[in-house]
Amino acid sequence: MILTLLFLFAVCSICSAEETFSERLILSPNRDGTVTSSFAFTTLLRDAQPRDPAKLAEEDESQHYTLFPLALGQILRDNAITELHLTLNAGKWDYQNWGYPEEEGVGTGAELWAWMGEGAMQTADERWKNLRNALAGLFCASLGSLDEQRTTSPVLTFQPEGDLPQASTSHELRHGTLPSENVCTENLTPFLKLLPCKARSGIATLLNPHRLFDADWHGMGVHVRYLEGAGIEVRLAFQAVLNPVRYSGDKKRDWSLSSLFDRSIERSCPVAGSSDIVVQVPPFGAIITEPAPSANNAGSIAYDVRRVDKPLDVGMRWPDEAWFEYPLDAPPSALMIRRTLKGSDQYKGRLSVVLTNSAMAEVKTSYLETMPWLLQFYLHSLRVICDGIPRDDLVSIISYTPPVPHARPSLLQALLTLPANSTVELTMDVVKPFLRYTEHPPDAHRGWDLPPAVFVPLDANATGGRLRLRRVYTSVLLVDLAVPDFSMPYNVIIMSCTLIALIFGSVFNLLTRKFVVVSLAKAKRAAVDNNNHVRRD
Amino acid sequence: MADTAAENPPIPPADLSKITFESTQNRRRIIASYWLIVILALPLWWKTTSIDRLSLPDGRARALTEKHLSFPVHVKLEAGQEQHTRILGEELTRWTNHAAQTSGLIVKIERGSRPGSYSVVVEDGEDVKVDGRTLHLGTGDRHADAAQRVAETVTNLLAPHASLTASEEHRTVKYSSRYRLAFTLLNEDASSGQAALSWDVREALEAYLHGTFDRLSILHNFTIESQVQYHAPLAFQPRPVKVAGQDAHGLTPEDLTVFVNSAEWTLASSSSNDPVLHFVLFVPSSSNAPFSDKTVGHSASSNAFILPQWGGIVLLSNPPGHLAVSALEKTFQTFQRQLLTLLGVPDLPPGVRSAQAEAFTEWQLDALVRQRARQNFENSKETLNSIVKLVHQIENMPVGQDVKGDVQDALIALDAALEAAPSSSTQALQHSADALTLSSRAFFNPGMLALLYFPAEHKYAVYTPLFASVAAPLIAAIVRELIAWRKARRAARQPEKRARAD
Repeated sequence: MILTLLFLFAVCSICSAEETFSERLILSPNRDGTVTSSFAFTTLLRDAQPRDPAKLAEEDESQHYTLFPLALGQILRDNAITELHLTLNAGKWDYQNWGYPEEEGVGTGAELWAWMGEGAMQTADERWKNLRNALAGLFCASLGSLDEQRTTSPVLTFQPEGDLPQASTSHELRHGTLPSENVCTENLTPFLKLLPCKARSGIATLLNPHRLFDADWHGMGVHVRYLEGAGIEVRLAFQAVLNPVRYSGDKKRDWSLSSLFDRSIERSCPVAGSSDIVVQVPPFGAIITEPAPSANNAGSIAYDVRRVDKPLDVGMRWPDEAWFEYPLDAPPSALMIRRTLKGSDQYKGRLSVVLTNSAMAEVKTSYLETMPWLLQFYLHSLRVICDGIPRDDLVSIISYTPPVPHARPSLLQALLTLPANSTVELTMDVVKPFLRYTEHPPDAHRGWDLPPAVFVPLDANATGGRLRLRRVYTSVLLVDLAVPDFSMPYNVIIMSCTLIALIFGSVFNLLTRKFVVVSLAKAKRAAVDNNNHVRRD
Repeated sequence: MADTAAENPPIPPADLSKITFESTQNRRRIIASYWLIVILALPLWWKTTSIDRLSLPDGRARALTEKHLSFPVHVKLEAGQEQHTRILGEELTRWTNHAAQTSGLIVKIERGSRPGSYSVVVEDGEDVKVDGRTLHLGTGDRHADAAQRVAETVTNLLAPHASLTASEEHRTVKYSSRYRLAFTLLNEDASSGQAALSWDVREALEAYLHGTFDRLSILHNFTIESQVQYHAPLAFQPRPVKVAGQDAHGLTPEDLTVFVNSAEWTLASSSSNDPVLHFVLFVPSSSNAPFSDKTVGHSASSNAFILPQWGGIVLLSNPPGHLAVSALEKTFQTFQRQLLTLLGVPDLPPGVRSAQAEAFTEWQLDALVRQRARQNFENSKETLNSIVKLVHQIENMPVGQDVKGDVQDALIALDAALEAAPSSSTQALQHSADALTLSSRAFFNPGMLALLYFPAEHKYAVYTPLFASVAAPLIAAIVRELIAWRKARRAARQPEKRARAD
C-alpha cells in the first residue's frame, strides 16, 4: 500500500514536472496618468525538442499535452518551427511617456517572424506559408496576406530569443508585417482559449475585452522559443495601456483592478506554478490600497495570487492630488525617432527619419526597413545631415535587397552612428509605383499602410554573454498611391470597340464603295419630274 | 465638277466599271473574302471562348450501377454424426442464403476447411461461444429446432449489419482511412476544488487501447492527441435529483443533445482534414457533483454516452487529483467500446459470448470489413453517378483533365474491388476506399466551379459593342449587293423578253 502510494506520488511529481505554467501581471503607472499592464502566461514543455525538419515526411508521434496549448503545439509540430513570434497591436507606443515596453514587439499591426530549421522535403517558404495560414485560422487574423510580397529575412535585427538546436545544420528566418491588421476581440477569444485557465480563474480573469480594447494602446503576442536544457516555452502576452483619468469622473488618476478591468480576481488558477502581480510604485505621492503585499522590493511590490485573500483588488491612490495635471513637458528619452513621408506627388516622395540622441555619449544603432514594393527607395539619394551639417559618413549600409515589383519587398539594413547630444536626419528619395487594376484593395482611396522601421541601439559596454538588444519601433506610414477610376475596364472596352468598328467600317467602305457617274442634266430632269408627280398627287 | 464633265466632251465620261477596283466582280470578291474570314474565324472564336469540357466515361459509370460487391463465405460444419451434419447443412444453406443475400454474401457449407473459412461446431450442452473463426454451439436438448437456431446464429454473425435499426446505423462514422482521435480530460471548473489536474493518458492508451488500434489497422489508421482543460462550463444547468435519498444531479436525454459546448470547449486541433473522433472524460464541478448514474427519464443506467458520429463522453465524479493508469481502466474500457461502436464494429448476437480476451472476434472484424467495402463501393458509385448527372445538367461546368483522371481512376479502382471481392475482402476494402477517395476528390474539385460565376451573358455584353458595329456594314454590303444582282438579272432578262415579244 505504502509502495503504491509512493509510486503514485513519484508518477505525479514526474507528470507535473513535464509541463509548468506560470502567470504574471506587471502594473506600472506612467507619468501621463496611464497605467501599463502587461500580462505574461508562460508554459514550459520540459525536455521537449522542436521537431526535426528532416523527419517532417514521417508520421509524427502522438501529442499529449496537459498545460501546453494543443492547437498551437500541433501547428508548431506540423511545420517544424523552432522559434515563433506573433504580435497583433493597435495604436502607437509612446516610448517617451510609457518607457520601454515589457514586451518589446510593439509595432502597429501584425508582425510574425519565425526561425525554422532546414533540411526538410518542404522548403522553408512552403512551411512559412502553412504556418501563416494555420495561425490565421487559429487567431482569426488576416495573416494569410503576409505573402511573398511582405516576407523578408532580416537576420541582423531579429536574432533568435531562445536557442537553436545544434543537431540541425542551419536555420532560416522569415519575417513579415501587416501594419493595417488591427487586434480586436475576435483575436482575443482564441487567445484566451489557449490558456489553461481560460479567462475564468487566476490573473487571466482580468482580460476583459470591453476594457482592453478601449485602452489607449493594446496588443497581444504569442512567443514560442526553445531553451537548451529546459524545453519549449510558450509565452502568451497581452499588453495594454489603460487610462484611469479618462474612466474616473473626478479627473483623478487613482486606479484599482476593478476600475481598470471592471473585474477583480475571485479565485486562483489551480494549475499555475506561480501567479504574481507586480506593481511598480512611483517614487513619491502614491500609496497602495489593500491588501498587504506578499513581497516588497525597492520600487515595486508583489502579490502571490495563490496565497492572498480573495477577491483580490490591488489599487493605487494619490491622496494629495485634488485632480491629475497632465504633464506638458515630455521628458527626453535616450533616443527619439520620427519617421515621415514627405511630398504630395503621386509619383515621387521623400522619406525622412529624424533621430535625436540626447545622451552624452555616442550611440550606434542598427536601422531596418522592410518595405513592400509599394514604396521604392532611390538609395543613391540617401543623405545624412547632423545638426545642419552634411555627414554621410554616419551611415553605413550593411545590406540592401532591391524590390521586385509585384513580387518581393525591399530590405535595407544599415548601421547609424549618432554623435552625442545631436539630431541626425536621414533623407532618401522614394518613388511610388503604379499598381495593377486588381492589386488595389477594396478601400483603395484610404492609401496603404507601410510597416514600421526597427532600430536596435547597440550597447557599447556589453561584453560577452547573451546580449538582450532592445528593438525600437517607429510609427507606421500611410502612402497615397495613384488610384484609377474603377469603371475603367468597361470604358476601355467600349472605347476600343468603337475605334475598331470605325476603322473597320471606313476601310470596308473604301474597298467596296461603288462610284457611279451621275449625269447632272438627267438628274435635274428626273428631279423636276419627281416634283411634278408629287404636286399632281 | 460633274457639270464640267458633262459640258466639255473632250473629257469622255469614264466608264467606271472598267477600273479594276470598281468592277462588280472585284467588289463581290472583296465582300466574299470578308465573309470567308468571318466564317473561318468562327470555329477559332468558338474554341477559344468555349468551356473545357472533357467527356466523362458515363457509360462505364452507368454500367456499374447494377453491380454490387459480393463475398463468398465458406463455412465448415461439424455436427458429430454424418447424417445429422448433412441435414443440418441443407437447412443451414437454405436459411443463410435467404438471409444473407441482402448483405451480398454467398454462403457455402462445406465439409473440409480452407484458409479463412469459418467453422461451426454443434455440440451438446448449453454454451454458445466464439473463438477465432470457430463457433461452438451447444444445442442443449432441444434437437428439434437446432437447425433453425444454428442458422439464425450463423446468419447474425456473418451479416450483423442487415438487422441494424436506422438509429444504430446512424451512429457509425463515415469511412475514412485515417481518423484523428482526440482524448480530452475536461474539468467543468477546476478551481471549485473537485478536479483531476492530470492523467496518465499515454500509459492508459498503451495499456487499454493499443491492441484495438493494432487489430483495426487493416481498416483505419489513427492519429492520437490528448489534452487537459480546466474550465469547461456546460451550456445548461444539470437538474437536481434524489438518488437513494441523496442529492445528486442528473441529465435528461435532451441535455445530452446539447452537452457539448462547442463555443467554450476546444477539443481538437485542426491541423489536418481527417475526421475527428472525440473522447471526453468529463469531471463535473463540485456544485454540480455528483452526477447520478441514472440519467433522468432514461432507462439506461450509465455514466457514459455516445454522440452519434462525434464521439463518446464519460462522466466521472469525485476524481483524485491525478488519474493514474489503474484509475483510468474503467474509463478507457468505455472509450474502447465507444470507439468500436462509432467505427461500426457489430455486437455479438444475444446469447453468444466471446472466448477471447480481445474486444471483438474475427467474425465481427470480417463482417465489418465486408460491410465497409460494400458501403464504400456503393458510396463511390453514387458519387460518380452524381458527377456525371451534374455535368450533364449544368452546361457551364468545366471538366478538366484532373476531374476526368480521378473519375477514370475511381472506375478502375471499383473494377479492381469487384475483382478482388471473391478472393480477399481486405483487398476489396482497400480498392473501394481508394475509389471513394478518388470519386469524392473529383466531386469536390474546385476547378468545376470556375465558370459558374462568369455566365455567357457577360461575354456577349462585352463583345456586342464590337461585333454589332462590325457586323452592320458587312450585312448591309451583302444585302445591297444582292439587290444589285437581282436588278441586274431582271434588267438582263427584260431585253430578252422584249426581243422574244418582237
